[in-house]
Amino acid sequence: MRDKLKSVIHHLKSKKVAYGDIRYVSTTHQSINVKDRVVESVSQDEDSGVGIRVIVDGGWGFAATSELSDGELIKTANLAIKIAKTSAMTVKNKVRLARVKPYIDKYSTKYKEDPFAVPLDEKIDLLLKVTEILHAKRMIKTAEASLDFYRIKKFFCSTEGAFIEQDIIESGGGYMATAVSGTESQRRTYPSSHRGDFACAGYEFIRQMGLIENAERVADEAVALLKAPVCPATETTIIITGSQMALQIHESCGHPSELDRVLGTEISLAGGSFMTLDKLGRFKYGSPIVNIVADSTIKGGLGTFGYDDEGVKACRTNIIKEGVLVGYLTSRETAPLINAVSNGCMRADGWSKIPLIRMTNINLEPGEWEYDDLIADTKDGILFDTNKTWSIDDRRLNFQFGTEVAWQIKNGKKVQMYKNPIYTGITPQFWNSCDAICNMNHWHIWGIPSCGKGEPMQTAHVAHGASPCRFRNISVGVRK
Amino acid sequence: MIGENRILTTLRAVIKKSPAEHTEAVFIGGTLGLTRYANSYIHQNLTENNTKVIFRTVTNSRIGVTSTNSFNKDDLYRGLVNSFKIAQHQQPNPDFKGLPMSCKHKKTKTFFEPTAIYSPRQRAEVIRKICRQAEKYGITMAGAFSTSSSEIAVVNSNGLALYQPLTTAYINLIAMTDTSSGYAEALSRRVVKIPFASLTETAFKKCLDGRNPVDIEPGRYDVILEPVAVSSIIDWLSSIAFGAKPYLEKTSFLSNKLGKKVMGSEMTIYDDGSDSSGLAFPFDFEGVPKKRVYFVKKGIAGRPVYDTIYAAKAKTRSTGHCMPPGFSGGPMASNIFIAPGKKSKSSLIASVKNGILVTRFFYINGLLNTTKAMMTGMTRDGTFRIKNGKIIGPVKNLRFTESVTKAFSRIGGISKETQLVKNWWKDIGCCSAPTILIKRFNFSGKTEF
Repeated sequence: MRDKLKSVIHHLKSKKVAYGDIRYVSTTHQSINVKDRVVESVSQDEDSGVGIRVIVDGGWGFAATSELSDGELIKTANLAIKIAKTSAMTVKNKVRLARVKPYIDKYSTKYKEDPFAVPLDEKIDLLLKVTEILHAKRMIKTAEASLDFYRIKKFFCSTEGAFIEQDIIESGGGYMATAVSGTESQRRTYPSSHRGDFACAGYEFIRQMGLIENAERVADEAVALLKAPVCPATETTIIITGSQMALQIHESCGHPSELDRVLGTEISLAGGSFMTLDKLGRFKYGSPIVNIVADSTIKGGLGTFGYDDEGVKACRTNIIKEGVLVGYLTSRETAPLINAVSNGCMRADGWSKIPLIRMTNINLEPGEWEYDDLIADTKDGILFDTNKTWSIDDRRLNFQFGTEVAWQIKNGKKVQMYKNPIYTGITPQFWNSCDAICNMNHWHIWGIPSCGKGEPMQTAHVAHGASPCRFRNISVGVRK
Repeated sequence: MIGENRILTTLRAVIKKSPAEHTEAVFIGGTLGLTRYANSYIHQNLTENNTKVIFRTVTNSRIGVTSTNSFNKDDLYRGLVNSFKIAQHQQPNPDFKGLPMSCKHKKTKTFFEPTAIYSPRQRAEVIRKICRQAEKYGITMAGAFSTSSSEIAVVNSNGLALYQPLTTAYINLIAMTDTSSGYAEALSRRVVKIPFASLTETAFKKCLDGRNPVDIEPGRYDVILEPVAVSSIIDWLSSIAFGAKPYLEKTSFLSNKLGKKVMGSEMTIYDDGSDSSGLAFPFDFEGVPKKRVYFVKKGIAGRPVYDTIYAAKAKTRSTGHCMPPGFSGGPMASNIFIAPGKKSKSSLIASVKNGILVTRFFYINGLLNTTKAMMTGMTRDGTFRIKNGKIIGPVKNLRFTESVTKAFSRIGGISKETQLVKNWWKDIGCCSAPTILIKRFNFSGKTEF
């Protein structure tokens, strides 16, 4: 494969493209789904091909193929060149890329236990046991559990001389119990919604998740929700647990800090951003205790890698520092527009898609509070746990998020359980009301394998480090 | 395009060697050409050529699924054998009653050569023309224009062998000024049917009329939902209510409601993959012909769509709505029609005393309370105030939070004009939606633009 890729690069150079790169990606995805004591599906998908990206006459062209013969690769390279020339028909400013060192390197995920070497029977047994425990509660109508494993092999080769080889391993899983009574339906998931929790790690990640140990509690909570009162509409103090904070960071900081959105190039589908360039370095995004970083180097994060999909080395970048907007997620094309170098956020959903600016691990840095102290310090409030619904406007300002469960906090104690809890806000007002963040003891990197963006839709695997946080004067419930 | 003969011959030959009791191969392949533009220039421009073959093998009701994107015979056979090996580790699935038998299908023309050969240059020329027109009005353009050709085939060990070539053309346009945006889109199997000039005019008009929007307080307003807005709500209903999975799990608003009134008598919603006035696709991914299924007929609850597995669970027959093997969401409705009304869109607007017109929604979420079809979402790209039957000006965007079944029980009128709107299953389906007037629609919040 190396020689095939190098010969395409040689061909692109002979065609005098301003820039060219080729990515080979081979992905194996194993997915196991158990529902109601029955193995609903076990599948293994194999997918490989190349994507070729070029700049000609200042315009971009991209072509991708799953056929890997020498002739097809050259044909695809020529098609990319042809497409770039048509892009150039409307170009106003020729594409200029930030400089990057052309690395020749190898990177592999560090893991202990190859998830593909673990017998299928063992994985299936684990999920069957989980659904058995969930179904022990009479009111649980549906119990679903899943495991997913990815093995991704990547080569990146550019006309600038880069040649990078990466081997990524990802593991994840989770489950959901749905309780039904009459027309009422309530669910609880573990360890989080969106198919659970994921990491760049081996099967050791699954073994330490506590899937079995938490199943009875999860089923009990789903059943209890059926009889719980609806969360009242009010304005109050709220505490948000780590997994819901991951969603909060994702929607209200991760997406709006993508520089392509800021520059308007994702406006037609995913929308724009309120974090406009004039705000860089001066906009008070949050309270002074809010520090958010993009960090693709952190061990185990689902957004951790060696190099992004245009050969930029993984790194750590401040996005929000002491409450102030100080950075964006960038690419080689967009970084020069803020007089910066790329911080390595260009990622493609496989070989067939064009790289876009995507989140990596967007982490809220831990604060100083112990979780029990935070609850004890809250006289009157509501605790929100585990994401259920998410909606935000196309500039990422007005959001409404719902969780699976909430609890009233009264005089420093968790008391009444609530169902159908929702909170809403305007992003900067919300983050400026943050007055407490829990410390490293309660901090976890939540892996999300389903971040959507782009046309055709691309799914990115991203993560968010977070711990429970407290916010003041937040609107809860729905205005009638 | 690989072609019917080569695809069916290859898959038949591979299946013939299968060690499994039942074997099925689903082929999905094709070429997508997509040109995206923003800030009035093309910033992404691509061609993707891919194939995927998904094998489902079953022995003693134990099911294994694998896929490969190689069409090499050796790779295909290896994929099939892996599927057989996976099945050995499976538990028997009591709802597997066998693969479908071969049967007659309605011939449906879904492939049009001019769309298949439409070039990147042709797409760029259309976009260049739109952007140049926009410049005259001080408008900036963004959007995407795609043309694609695909092939779908289903072959199984019962002798079923189906092949369907498809083409799809889709464009969306967002026209923008500093304070406004306007939207238009069109979808067709035939690129020559895309009305570029009128789409451009619509997007420009909404954008120019939408300049300097004013603040409006949330609350209940009569609302005109244009087809794209209606379709995005229906997309969510399809996911949370119209499939057998949520229906049998009793999380759908249709569960236990067969024959009962769930919406206003004006509302009829059905799925029909064989109706060429939509984006027809005649069979599902098991090769079962698509049947018309009424979810709501004159306000009365009907039934969901089924594949063979869910049909066995419910002791009924497949309606031809199986998704590709490995899809965990169960059978899905993908060719949805909302029956049109008798009034014109303009007469609906003229009947509104104090209301709001919504061009489209953004980021709807339908998981708030699925048994009540409670949803939330934001308006975007053209939200206007209506007073005394006239559109009087633009308003800033609003959030709605509303039970859709309740909202569709307060219908003030449905337009006779309908539009095909892209949904999550773009190449094999869409939503045919009219404009709908809903009384006292609940806007629960507002944003800053």
